[in-house]
Amino acid sequence: MAICSAHTTTSLRSPCTTISNTGLRQNQVILFTTRSSRRGSTRHGARTFQVSCTAEKPIIIGLAADSGCGKSTFMRRLTSVFGGAAEPPKGGNPDSNTLISDTTTVICLDDYHSLDRTGRKEKGVTALDPKANDFDLMYEQVKAIKEGKAIEKPIYNHVTGLLDPAELIQPPKIFVIEGLHPMYDQRVRDLLDFSIYLDISNEVKFAWKIQRDMAERGHSLESIKASIEARKPDFDAYIDPQKQYADAVIEVLPTLLIPDDNEGKVLRVKLIMKEGVKYFNPVYLFDEGSSISWIPCGRKLTCSYPGIKFSYGPDTYFGQEVSVLEMDGQFDRLDELIYVESHLSNLSTKFYGEVTQQMLKHSDFPGSNNGTGLFQTIVGLKIRDLYEQIIAERAGVPAEAAKV
Amino acid sequence: MASALTGVSLSTPATFAAATARGDRPQVAPARVTLRSMVMGRGTVACRAGGPSTPPGISDKMSESIKEAQEACSEDSASGECAAAWDEVEELSAAASHARDKLKESDPLENYCKENPETDECRTYDS
Repeated sequence: MAICSAHTTTSLRSPCTTISNTGLRQNQVILFTTRSSRRGSTRHGARTFQVSCTAEKPIIIGLAADSGCGKSTFMRRLTSVFGGAAEPPKGGNPDSNTLISDTTTVICLDDYHSLDRTGRKEKGVTALDPKANDFDLMYEQVKAIKEGKAIEKPIYNHVTGLLDPAELIQPPKIFVIEGLHPMYDQRVRDLLDFSIYLDISNEVKFAWKIQRDMAERGHSLESIKASIEARKPDFDAYIDPQKQYADAVIEVLPTLLIPDDNEGKVLRVKLIMKEGVKYFNPVYLFDEGSSISWIPCGRKLTCSYPGIKFSYGPDTYFGQEVSVLEMDGQFDRLDELIYVESHLSNLSTKFYGEVTQQMLKHSDFPGSNNGTGLFQTIVGLKIRDLYEQIIAERAGVPAEAAKV
Repeated sequence: MASALTGVSLSTPATFAAATARGDRPQVAPARVTLRSMVMGRGTVACRAGGPSTPPGISDKMSESIKEAQEACSEDSASGECAAAWDEVEELSAAASHARDKLKESDPLENYCKENPETDECRTYDS
């Protein structure tokens, strides 16, 4: 009778929200859910109880990045680590920006635009500008979710540029807010259990947007460049400063392995991890706290041009102590990835090879052969670990020691 | 392979046709061209370039917004109107990319290749 087993285990997949009508214990909230009319038919007779535990208040994760900088890919990797596919709400607005899986709900903060596309145009304000966003509503709703309450969240329609009727969002186990400003407003920031910033250098941003847009009718190198440049002042003023608040930053830079490379195909990626964050133990290479430079390619492992280079060590970032793990180059073969994984420690994997398995599972996602995919996967594992520790602590059970 | 292709009509995404039809386009090829072919039943070969193309609704809106942004910036490239106009272009470009990804997910060849990336049909060729 383990309906509320999330209290006592550290498993992410514990059936705490099992649909059941037997075996209820105290300390549980029982919601009698009749299908809401917007979903269609109301079923009589087949009574559905949704059981959720009072301890089961969502943990809140923030992911900040500019548009076109890999937030969606990151989200797909993250939800995959948690298990189960993330999909748009069933039967809702087809243009909804929300993704829901068994454990996780991801919302896009564009839904809190206070000015729609026409409004921004009239006022000469970009979506990056806080004036175009309703932080009061964002705060209220993220707070409500954190307290375990459902919300009626607006939907910003990216195709029409209009605000569509709201959608009902139930509190999940893990609630992710992704977008331009998850750490901008202090009230919202204080609600976050963990935060990530994707920091894409200008060179790489340009290369990625060429890849994304060049085949589009109407776009040219000039238009792609003009768009990046016109948005840059607001980006620098309102988005970029948020990285100082992030618990983990993934910085994407051009490679140093190829002299004067400007193709943006080979990348140098840094994972900057804040020290002293509760429930977050940074990954390390060989010896925690030392400075290490490591070229895995040699006698044991042969790599093709331009090779792979790792470095690791302590550093400061906006005046705070951090650990930085860097990977330059890309994986060409499976054995390179597994070799690297076997030399990293504190990965929060549940079994040997889990990082490699996750990367292979999504080899079609951008960045699966370089540091962006590797570090996104690692951050996903770290968030799973963080969640399990918080749940275990709430249940009064000491967290399991770090695995592998 | 040449004989297998004889008499087969190839469908080309609209972006390609548009690219060759427009004279004012800079002589830069799309960043990456991938070609895939698939043997569909007896003797039928389907071949197409890249992934799916952007739905025309979004595509039209985007090229319209690029024109508007160029106009809005012709007077003052540091104005809020100019930034807002290019921001709209970015928003639509991202929406177009997401729409293409969505189409890709519902593409039978893409799904087949996810499971069987090593098969001949799923080989990709970089230009």
